[in-house]
Amino acid sequence: MHSVQVEAPGHMEQPHALALAIWIIRLAAKLWLGIREWCGDSAYERYVQAQRTNSEKVSLLTPAEFYVDRLNRRYSRPNRCC
Amino acid sequence: MKRPISMVIWIVVALVGAGALGGIAFHRGEPLNATWFVVAAACCYLVAYRFYSAFIAARLLTLDDTRATPSERHDDGRDFVPTNKWILFGHHFAAIAGPGPLVGPTLAAQFGYLPGTLWLIAGAVFAGCVQDFIILFCSIRRDGKTLGEIAREEVSQRGGFIAQLAVLAIMVILLGVVALVIVNALKSSPWATFTLAATIPIALLLGLYLRFLRPGRVLEASFIGVALVLFVVVAGQWVADSPSWAHVFTLSGVTLAFALIAYGFAASALPVWLLLAPRDYLSAFIKAGAIFSLAAGILLVRPQVLMPPLTRFIDGSGPVFAGKIFPFCFITIACGAISGFHSLISSGTTPKMILRESHARFIGYGAMLMESFVGVMAMIAACAMTPGVYFAINSPASIVGATSDAAAATISSWGYPLQAQTMTDLARAVGEQTLLNRAGGAPSLAVGMAQIFSSTIGGPRLLSIWYHFAIMFEALFILTVLDAGTRVGRFMVQELGGRVWKPFARTGWWPGILISSALIVGAWGYFLYQGVVDPLGGINSLWPLFGISNQLLAAVALVVATTILLKMKRIRWIWLTLIPMTWLVIITMTASYQKIFDPNPRLGFLSYAKALAAQITAGKIPAVKIADTQRVIFNQRLDAAVTAVLAAMIIVLIIEALMQWYRILSADRKSVLHETAYLATRWPENFSGASYTATAAEPDVPAMEG
Repeated sequence: MHSVQVEAPGHMEQPHALALAIWIIRLAAKLWLGIREWCGDSAYERYVQAQRTNSEKVSLLTPAEFYVDRLNRRYSRPNRCC
Repeated sequence: MKRPISMVIWIVVALVGAGALGGIAFHRGEPLNATWFVVAAACCYLVAYRFYSAFIAARLLTLDDTRATPSERHDDGRDFVPTNKWILFGHHFAAIAGPGPLVGPTLAAQFGYLPGTLWLIAGAVFAGCVQDFIILFCSIRRDGKTLGEIAREEVSQRGGFIAQLAVLAIMVILLGVVALVIVNALKSSPWATFTLAATIPIALLLGLYLRFLRPGRVLEASFIGVALVLFVVVAGQWVADSPSWAHVFTLSGVTLAFALIAYGFAASALPVWLLLAPRDYLSAFIKAGAIFSLAAGILLVRPQVLMPPLTRFIDGSGPVFAGKIFPFCFITIACGAISGFHSLISSGTTPKMILRESHARFIGYGAMLMESFVGVMAMIAACAMTPGVYFAINSPASIVGATSDAAAATISSWGYPLQAQTMTDLARAVGEQTLLNRAGGAPSLAVGMAQIFSSTIGGPRLLSIWYHFAIMFEALFILTVLDAGTRVGRFMVQELGGRVWKPFARTGWWPGILISSALIVGAWGYFLYQGVVDPLGGINSLWPLFGISNQLLAAVALVVATTILLKMKRIRWIWLTLIPMTWLVIITMTASYQKIFDPNPRLGFLSYAKALAAQITAGKIPAVKIADTQRVIFNQRLDAAVTAVLAAMIIVLIIEALMQWYRILSADRKSVLHETAYLATRWPENFSGASYTATAAEPDVPAMEG
């Protein structure tokens, strides 16, 4: 699993403006990945990675099969509250 | 040097919080600015999180980051997914934040702003957050087991069964009452009804897109969906302005109730990807947007709180619901301070995704603080309108009258001046035919939100758009609770039915799906219908019933937590759960007793039934209304029976727990803690479970379907 590292602008060697721009881009990338993960966009990628880590030979669900399977699991227990 | 500076900062935060709380509590006379509420709440939350939750984490639970969590032990990319703590915080908050913290404080504003605000803050800090945090911890240590399973293992078999029954009971009552909130918000409102109805085809469209066109691409589909929903909010105005279309979407309470019942059945029985899940995506985005917008709006506008700190209705004579400040302020606030339902989330999805034990503090304790803040914002929005307007919107016609003149005269006589013209003008400004007698909290909250939003963007010209945006936002995520809850209830009914006849438990068996869906929808639909036809407005009976069942489930969760802490030999700190548990038992028992036996017909179910029966005997009810009145009498007796069963359940559970505690403390029998065995984590210390990048394992995945 990978994470996007966001370093403080002051720690970089590039000119100040460029360093700031890179820092902002990295921060935006991190936010974007966070939103993707929060809403479930990256769930299939996580699933493939987990299956590959656990076993060499796995039969993977297709993205559509995984999507339906995930929803069925998620909505068969309380997941929205009062 | 760092430590003294930190100490000074925390002393300042504590003093500012204490000062703001003091200002709220002792201010009299001129209206108070909402900033006081925001500052008081924020400072209390900061101090509570920094010190109280840290104390619980270190001393009571001794969280251990060297221990592998369920997401590491069972990482399967499906249920058990190691998740970054900020993202899991978002998941957890989206799951626990429902309509309760918006509606409860709005209704409790009838006592004035003070009691509700104090309980929202204190209740969350000392009870709600503690419950969520400890149950999350208990579930993490038990491989993500549910509250019912934990209760069965740690308290007793019967305790587990009671917890499961309590969950089913709360689910049915919850769904009935939130459906009633929607009905009262939509009745006679073609704009709001069209907007909400249009979200159904939008959700279906999204469902098909996500299933066949771009499987799992939730973000892009949600953008499309949210844009369409915002468009139909505006388009609703054109529908309301067209006489022929307005007629189609102007529906009575009873018609709306049956429409919701049909919707609930369809959402439960249809494949989850078609309607339920896409609606949930829409709701999650709009919920997040609306809550952040409300927070920003309050900070920018800083409205004056016009409601007095205490109203004359603390004596129990309130028009919105009957009952004295104790215990009904606590029962009515419910989810914003402590919610039993949260224990289902804390022992459901979240423990299976948590990365490290220490994250339980931020997610369990922190997310509940945020929910409490939503409750405080709802209280501000409700109290920022003139008290006369608040009471006119939330009181039933049987108390204030059905016309503007009658309502204005009655409410003014209570000491809250109101002009009839004010209500007519306000209704016109928000694009409604009337705002009178709209009990349920949603319309008054929408008026409050619309006034705050329109003071920021658009001015009075956009008041009607903001009002209908707020109604859509509330109704949309109430519908999400309704369809997700109905589906989960269906599974519970199928599981129970499966004990009698095994094929019934098969979740893919169509007759089982249809029968169980009909049973669960019929159960909450009955409560909804009785609320719609109730002459006292429905909310008066059903919201306290919901509050009692919710707080009862919280008491169940705290009984389980206390038992586990005793088994962990944390006797010295047992008061942390024992005091909130005792408090909840006292308020639920007192409220249950009063709702069943109080001689005031507006408060006591049995005395209301008796008074109606006496009217029939005395010939005061016209012949054509006798059948309806007898049905109301039956409903009151049914509500009394349901309340009595709920109270009996908690008494049995407490007796079970006391026996278990006696055994633990007397060392009569060695107590067994059912934690999973310690397994050291293999993850490096800096592993954050941060967002996965597709490039890491772009696989030869099977071809897409469709």
